[in-house]
Amino acid sequence: MSRLTLLTSLLFIFFFQGVQAQIVSEDEEIERQLLASTKQLNQFFNRFNGEEDTKGRKFEPDDRQYRSERIRKRYLSILFDEENAEFSEDLLKTFIEQVTDKDNPQFLSLRSPEWFAVVNTTFKYKGKEEPLTLYMQIQQEGLGYEWVISDLVFEPYNTLFDKQRGETKEFLHPMSHELDFMNLRKALVKGGSPESYTLADFKPDLLTVFLYEVKMGLLEFQTVNRLNFHFFSIDGWYFQLNNFNRPGYNTGWLISDLAQVNDSQKEALLKIIYDKK
Amino acid sequence: MRSNILKYTLVTLFVVMGSVNALAQNAVDPNREKAIDSLALEKVRDLGKYIRIIGNKETPYSESTRVMDRAEELFAPDSEMGVSSLAREEIEYYKVREYFQRLRALNYDKVTIEWYDIHYISDLERQPDGRYVGVVTIYQKFEGRSGDQLSYKDTTKKDITIYVEKKETQIAGRTIEFWDVILGDIRVSETSI
Repeated sequence: MSRLTLLTSLLFIFFFQGVQAQIVSEDEEIERQLLASTKQLNQFFNRFNGEEDTKGRKFEPDDRQYRSERIRKRYLSILFDEENAEFSEDLLKTFIEQVTDKDNPQFLSLRSPEWFAVVNTTFKYKGKEEPLTLYMQIQQEGLGYEWVISDLVFEPYNTLFDKQRGETKEFLHPMSHELDFMNLRKALVKGGSPESYTLADFKPDLLTVFLYEVKMGLLEFQTVNRLNFHFFSIDGWYFQLNNFNRPGYNTGWLISDLAQVNDSQKEALLKIIYDKK
Repeated sequence: MRSNILKYTLVTLFVVMGSVNALAQNAVDPNREKAIDSLALEKVRDLGKYIRIIGNKETPYSESTRVMDRAEELFAPDSEMGVSSLAREEIEYYKVREYFQRLRALNYDKVTIEWYDIHYISDLERQPDGRYVGVVTIYQKFEGRSGDQLSYKDTTKKDITIYVEKKETQIAGRTIEFWDVILGDIRVSETSI
């Protein structure tokens, strides 16, 4: 029996145990699929933590089923993408064992550390629609919490401040001060390379550039195309969540990538996700 | 409309009466959260009813306009619908009123809109201004017919923002605090089902 068939059977048993064999109408079948789907990230958290029943009703904290290891293990096994993901069953098992460990169970919430959203958007820039990736994080503010932009990747910005070094770069010659820096007039021109006249360790703050251009109306938000979430919240693990919109029982917000990571691997992975050199 | 006011008042009072402890802590007590969820679901169900009336081709124009007014009252100002389909993943944005007008103007002889008996209510999270926000997810089945032929059919997921706010009212000279629920932006995405 393939993993997929096994999981589909498991899901069916999990959500509809006790339902006797009967002819099921199309609408009933759809409702069963919708019930099984992890419909919100909030539901992913609640299932991950074992804080709700199969109908999505929350357990009271004093309910013996609340966060029970048994419930969590059953839920965790259905929170993974079974159609495309390529992680091994051993890895999955190790992960589930760790997060449900009796002595040190680990839970997730909106307020967990070290997780973020990657939001693929479209902006209008210089008359053209351009893709732009926003990195979003939750932070505490005022009386509650808010999502904020922590970083971005925008292709037109990638080379905007590419600064040459060495003999071929543009420069203000070392006696410019004697001429009251009158050569700045030739250096700071539209379409030029003003970044050439900065300190050797100059690093542009692209988020500030982005905010400025939005304020000036030069960058105009068009739409969100898709999003996913990256978690480093569980010690020694990385996983990614994607929304799977497809027929069946293994749908909604599911773990699509899972890896055990040490500190250096985590740094390397973050660089890849944030598209940093 | 009058029955709606009565219904909301009853549900709201239920939320008020059990909210003394919650108000003292300025937070939503888990038991009160259930009452707030019920109030939110009431408003969401009313929205569903209004959408069915607006979409129904047999509803007279004046009646659908009146229902649009009622439906708009469920929402916070500037609320929008963000709509995407399987064919087009980019989200298109409409003001709530514009969305209703587009629904009314759909070019079918008969429109059937039903909601599946599945919903999911998120936890309530506090935002910086002190109000609470949550999301109610429901699923809608749409069928458009031209003559006897089924022209278009889809199932959409609707993720509906709900804002929960503490308000005050005067009853018989006494100031009573209560939790009120108002709808916000709605994300509408076509499902593969």
